[in-house]
Amino acid sequence: MIVLSVESSCDETSVSISQNGKTILSNIVLSQIELHQAFGGVVPEIASREHVKGITAVFEKALKDADKTPSDIDLIAVTKGPGLIGSLLVGINAAKAFAFAHQIPIVGIHHIAGHIYANHIENDLEFPLIALVVSGGHTELVLMKEHYSFETLGQTYDDAVGEAYDKIARVLDLGYPGGPIIDKLAHEGQPTYPMPNIDTSSRYDFSYSGLKSHVINMINTMRMKKEPINHRNMAASFQKAAVKHLITQSKHAIEDVDAKMFVVAGGVAANKHLRAEVNKHFKDIKTTMPAFKYCTDNAAMMGIAGYFYYQKYQRQDAMDMNGFSRLDLRE
Amino acid sequence: MKKQSKYLIIDTATPYLYVAIYEGKKPLEIVYQQGKNNHSVTLMPTIEKLFDRVKMSLEDIDDIVVGIGPGSYTGVRIGVVVAKMFAWSLDKPLLTISSLALLASASKGPRILAYQDARRGNAFLGLYAYHQQTLKRLIDDQHTAYDAFVSQHDIDDEISEGQPDFALILTSDLLHREPSVHHVSPIYLRKTEAERNLQNG
Ligand SMILES: [Zn+2]
Repeated sequence: MIVLSVESSCDETSVSISQNGKTILSNIVLSQIELHQAFGGVVPEIASREHVKGITAVFEKALKDADKTPSDIDLIAVTKGPGLIGSLLVGINAAKAFAFAHQIPIVGIHHIAGHIYANHIENDLEFPLIALVVSGGHTELVLMKEHYSFETLGQTYDDAVGEAYDKIARVLDLGYPGGPIIDKLAHEGQPTYPMPNIDTSSRYDFSYSGLKSHVINMINTMRMKKEPINHRNMAASFQKAAVKHLITQSKHAIEDVDAKMFVVAGGVAANKHLRAEVNKHFKDIKTTMPAFKYCTDNAAMMGIAGYFYYQKYQRQDAMDMNGFSRLDLRE
Repeated sequence: MKKQSKYLIIDTATPYLYVAIYEGKKPLEIVYQQGKNNHSVTLMPTIEKLFDRVKMSLEDIDDIVVGIGPGSYTGVRIGVVVAKMFAWSLDKPLLTISSLALLASASKGPRILAYQDARRGNAFLGLYAYHQQTLKRLIDDQHTAYDAFVSQHDIDDEISEGQPDFALILTSDLLHREPSVHHVSPIYLRKTEAERNLQNG
């Protein structure tokens, strides 16, 4: 089965062709990141405009790179949420129009299901598994007992971990997006600054606003006292605490459900410190993290998730399919 | 007799959804209905329904025509994306038309102000004329203060809603054949707020 998939939930216009939920034949990602850098974050209206500009060319390149024509496509999978609504609607309507023009079944797929299934590209998922989903908008622990079955065990009470990275980077004037910048700086520094222990009183939930406020207050106080701030050490201290919290809660979930596999998903899965800590702490269980190119938003992962959705439910969406800025993983 | 071109026309730049199939100047099916800010949900099912009624498929269409704004940003993008996708993936010509010109075609006045509210006293507007059985543009579409424009120009009909008369558009020189489908974007007439703020420092 050949799947054409579309992802446009934020600032990347992406189309991919994949085969049988496994082999990626093409994965075109048109990134707008440079456009948004001037604004210190993604501007939704600019993102929507860019998606419209790029969408048909990205479709064309994805088909060409995979050496396929529309008549080869058996299924279309498109991100239906969560995400920026204006951006989502461009991809969804492009996908619906393509589906109608060529009479191909279409399915709307949850963005986070895509991030989790990005892991299946290189390592077959084994169940039960615990997925740690970490990005600018998400920090969640998800239990999967079989293909395309999701149970959210825990999530963040406040900020997503990627969001905390972005905010710390902004306070330190390091630029956008903050995650990769802090990760890089942290590797050149030492965790010398004291950080609070994060305790959410729940085994699976997360909280990042306390850590974030602690770091921002510390920076502001030092600036007021005109004390020099070692950016590298500050980055290393923050990152160590942030990642430790992810590891601790993941461990709880893995032990409690006796998971066979631990998968890390989402943009923050590209974080080098997180990857190293996962390898260090989870030696008794199979772990997988996507290749760097499949960590950030891309259509390939949506194609894999779409394939497994369709295998399980044999159900397609109608032409009135809509996008949703917020969406439960089970919908 | 010369074969008449078949057109699929889409406009989603206003609160109304407009989808029509024409054979030459003859309308085969028209839907013009008020939306609830939900063109994303209604456009494709409406297109599906229209093709069912005329017992044709998209393949039978010769030209894809789309209203390209100005108007509601989110709304106009829905129609433009669908039209681009049809034209590109079935290798058909894409013709664009001002959404205000489409609106003006609903009137038959000598000086027609076609406008859409753009909030804070502003409007997207253009001045058009019905003249010798066709539609002409007198003043280019713009984003401007509505009251000031109206007080400075002769206008005998104002229109902000009305079912387009595509036959009239066909005889005008307002239809634009796009040389490259990939590059087609809505006419926004305004930079985004973030860009304006950045410019103003
Ligand atoms: Zn994502």
